[in-house]
Amino acid sequence: MLLPALLAALGGCKGQGGCTTEYCGTVVFAASGEPSSLLPAVSTQAIERDVFDQVFLKLADIGPDGGTFGDSGFTPELARSWEWTDPLTLTFHLDPRPRWQDGPPVTAADVAFTFDVYRDSIVGSQDREALAHIASVTATDSLTVVFKFRDRYPEMFYDATYHMRILPAHLLRNVARATWQTAPFGRAPIGAGPYRFVSWTPGQSIELAADSTYFLGRPHLRRLIWRFAGNLNNAVTMVLAGEADAVEVLVTPANIAKAKADSALTLYPYPGSTYNFVRFNLRANGDRSKPHPVFADPQTRRALVLALDRPQMVQAVFAGNAKIPPGPMPQLWSWLWKSQLTPAPFDTLEAVRLLRGRHLSFHLAVPSTSPTRVQYAQLLQEQYRRLGVTVVIDQVDNATLEQQLESGKFDAAMESFQTDPAPSSSVPALWSRSGPTNWGHYANDHFDALMKTAASAPTRAAAQAAWEQAFAALDQDPPCIILYALDNIAAVNRRVADVRIQPDSWWGLVRTWRIPPSQLTERDRAGR
Amino acid sequence: MTAATIVALIAIAVWTGTVVAWCRRRPWGDAGRRFFRHPSATKGMVVLVFLATVALCAPLVTPFAPYQQILTLQDHPPTWLHPLGTDFIGRDVWSRLAYGARVSLGVGTLGMLVAVTLGGLVGAAAGYFRGWTDALLMRCVDIGLSIPRIFLVLAAIALWGKLGVGALTVLLGLTGWFATSRIVRAEVMSVRERPYTDAVRALGARPWWIVLRHVLPNSSAALIVSAALGIGNMMLLEAGLSFLGAGIRPPQPSWGNMIADGRDQLATAPWTTLFPGLAIALAVMALNATGDALRDALDPKTGGK
Amino acid sequence: MLAWLLRRIAASLAIVFVTVSLTFFAIHLAPGRPFMPPDERPMNPIVVHRLEQIYGLDRPLAVQYVRYFGALARGEMGESFSQRRPVAHAIADAVPNTLLLTATALVIDFTLGILIGLFQAARARRRSDVALANVTLFFYSLPTFWLALVLQLVCALWLGWFPTGGPTDPVMHASLPLLGRLGDRLYHLVLPALTLGLVGAGGTARFQRAALLEALGHDYIRTARAKGLAESAVLVRHAWRDALLPVISLAGVALPFLLTGAVLIETVFSWPGLGKLAADAISARDYPLVLGTTLLATCAVVLGSLVADLLTVAADPRVRVTA
Repeated sequence: MLLPALLAALGGCKGQGGCTTEYCGTVVFAASGEPSSLLPAVSTQAIERDVFDQVFLKLADIGPDGGTFGDSGFTPELARSWEWTDPLTLTFHLDPRPRWQDGPPVTAADVAFTFDVYRDSIVGSQDREALAHIASVTATDSLTVVFKFRDRYPEMFYDATYHMRILPAHLLRNVARATWQTAPFGRAPIGAGPYRFVSWTPGQSIELAADSTYFLGRPHLRRLIWRFAGNLNNAVTMVLAGEADAVEVLVTPANIAKAKADSALTLYPYPGSTYNFVRFNLRANGDRSKPHPVFADPQTRRALVLALDRPQMVQAVFAGNAKIPPGPMPQLWSWLWKSQLTPAPFDTLEAVRLLRGRHLSFHLAVPSTSPTRVQYAQLLQEQYRRLGVTVVIDQVDNATLEQQLESGKFDAAMESFQTDPAPSSSVPALWSRSGPTNWGHYANDHFDALMKTAASAPTRAAAQAAWEQAFAALDQDPPCIILYALDNIAAVNRRVADVRIQPDSWWGLVRTWRIPPSQLTERDRAGR
Repeated sequence: MTAATIVALIAIAVWTGTVVAWCRRRPWGDAGRRFFRHPSATKGMVVLVFLATVALCAPLVTPFAPYQQILTLQDHPPTWLHPLGTDFIGRDVWSRLAYGARVSLGVGTLGMLVAVTLGGLVGAAAGYFRGWTDALLMRCVDIGLSIPRIFLVLAAIALWGKLGVGALTVLLGLTGWFATSRIVRAEVMSVRERPYTDAVRALGARPWWIVLRHVLPNSSAALIVSAALGIGNMMLLEAGLSFLGAGIRPPQPSWGNMIADGRDQLATAPWTTLFPGLAIALAVMALNATGDALRDALDPKTGGK
Repeated sequence: MLAWLLRRIAASLAIVFVTVSLTFFAIHLAPGRPFMPPDERPMNPIVVHRLEQIYGLDRPLAVQYVRYFGALARGEMGESFSQRRPVAHAIADAVPNTLLLTATALVIDFTLGILIGLFQAARARRRSDVALANVTLFFYSLPTFWLALVLQLVCALWLGWFPTGGPTDPVMHASLPLLGRLGDRLYHLVLPALTLGLVGAGGTARFQRAALLEALGHDYIRTARAKGLAESAVLVRHAWRDALLPVISLAGVALPFLLTGAVLIETVFSWPGLGKLAADAISARDYPLVLGTTLLATCAVVLGSLVADLLTVAADPRVRVTA
């Protein structure tokens, strides 16, 4: 490398001194996007969550098994303990130790304030709907806060803790609710988490520094830096070149192969939280009052599912680093994967029979920003061509695709959906008759009823059985072609030890990562 | 690469040689002779004729269909059967390159045709009529020139959404005529001052007729040269757009989207990106060389350089 | 003269107004809508509606148009949707990066181009001239983004000589001494500036060579030669002086490029400049940011041509100011 020599020459001798202990490491994350606001209540992107999850805390976090039923497996964060006063009343006792990074302690009033903000329609939080079951949140004393629910269901605890990051009331109370979306606080946040915000250089990087007094244990890594690479390709390139230490997903087999061949990197597979599919529009393109000439017919949709050799496509594009889900679900819901369900087979004979010799033709909208989906679209186009089905690929940008979906001006669209840890909210959102993002106007009352049963199942086993039934109901009347669910693979520099990745919030456990003193480099020691 | 492909390629090479040699032996007039005296004219023409013929006869010289995916053979390095290797979904790079020539050369040439026609007409009108016509048209040109070209095209593509090859060509043409119109305007203004224009006008010819019949042909040298040099720019722009995902749509191959497709595999399968890039460079080089020679041939003032 | 200047300024303002207006309607009428997150988290339609209210997008287009220009008249360019901060701040952050990149690229472009052109003209039609002509033609004909990809692969990934992208090293930069920071900047600048500079130099060299050869054909050169001056002196002292003017005019044409940047190069090298800002703004349908960058680019071009005209008038009294 030229840099060290150059710097030595230009900057004079730099001593070896500085930090040499367990708490010195610097980790640079290569990110494909850039946050627009680090204020959790108004955030919309995964990259924003990656960063602010280091700065802000929840009351309790989901455990390593990813369970969302009851409170089993949840680990305390700001709340030290909790109890059910009655079936609709949940009381949290806050840990007295945590303090906001500007001094004052975290209190029950902060929790009540946070709930009020998330539920305020003027603020416009993405998570507002998810908190609809909670009637009120009140602080009874400075460390006790009471959640009252409107109804009983298995995932009450999950809803009470998962969606909200507790915000500092003393700093935000005077910010007008209508201006939260553009609040300057979102570009210089102050929380109670393991890291505090240091700087944000637009277009380049965000830097966080460890809070050595963090009440759940001092983080080992001293500095965290997110570098904005602009796209996944540049991000992977930066990690391969040693300019960044970690990238959360590699996606393509070419990237995986390159990372595997690089002795400086260790790969960490973890279950992905997205699944990809081709959504059918059951109503005519641009006219919701009429049925779609091709996709209104369930038999045609089923034929289009059976006509694809999906295993071969997954193999061709991902070289085995993705799976075909048996229903609309990501690998994150691993407990559902253990079921008896299998994806619909590749059966061209049956497909041809169902197509009854018709020559179909439709447009497939594909986001031009996703090389893998463009690649998938071309595979699909070629396979359908052999059966006399003409697919016209419309490469459109994300903004256009979203608008086409909303306004119903599409035939079929290749989409990707990032789910929550809980199927009970993620599945109905897309595929129930009244789902807010059911852009294809899919309506299957039988399936809706089965989903309702599954969502209110008291245990995981019962939920699993109910979801199996629901997904089986989709088989004969498919709303989409489910293509693949990624095995996510993160690449992290070898000098980082104790790397654990949380499937629902990838860098959520970074505070437990460390770089052993023997592995420290010049870059780890440098700092302000 | 099969025996048939090799035979076809040899045939094209022979045809190219024959055409260029024939042109050299009977150049049309002084300009033609001056053209071939230019050191790079022959080379440029050989490359252009060869590429154009390959593009036109793509089915004859390609052992595979450009869309055919051999899923067991992804990112395979060059072999005898696949002389330029295969791409990320097992398509033959050579075959795509040959079919891509159709799109890339076609979009460049036709786009330039649109641009030159429009630029020629606007420039001629502005230069001949002067006055408020000139002022109005040239302000439009100023506006067009004051927005960076690639923003203009990106915005236009966002405006119309999914564009076909035809629409993309027209769009490139519509955003590419501003500079041409200025050149033509200047030429027309100088031609207009010459005595024979006055003579024609005195004979009672209508203004448009004068422009079309007398003024434009006299400024055609500038037009031809700007066109020849502009095709290369057009091709580079198309490649850039395809690279940003806003150009030619898959599965249709263009040299630009081939580079974009191969970008992820640049380190592991460089042939998927390298060859289309070199193809663009070669074609644009040939166009520029020919354009230079044309300029020298058509403009005796600078001849003999 | 004053009247001419005032008319000229009025015309420039009109051009800016028309351009920004056209862009306003083009981008608002374009398919696609803002607030689309770049990743796979779907936006709740209710939240989108709320955001549209906050940014006034629920009003009729005419109202938005009047409001935009009203704000502009007060010197406000609005709030960027995608960056959740004032457009002016987003642009102010990008301008220095772009200036650094494009100015360095132009310096490389013209230094290299002029030197090569000079060298070629000195040995016109000899073997070295022909070889260099082929090389310059090759670079001139390359797609810049392709050269960027190849240079990135070879010099950054394979050889490890230069960083793959970004304007500084975020880990070390802040803790370096002043000289070290400067070095860090230059070190990150090499590949992107070289890519732009090489492609540009190809064109400049060809231009310079042609201009020199034309100048060498003039009578006064023959006089100089007849006086017995050395060929190198003729070339550098006489012909070059004459042939530099067209090259300088070429630089004038290249000036707006200083601000509009190079979209593709900035994308490949993750360079947070104006070109990338504008391209990202277009794809995010960040209307105020698109308009802000267009405004800036248009002003640069218009101002450039105004200054050029003024200089021409000042330099050449024969140019009538009534034109």
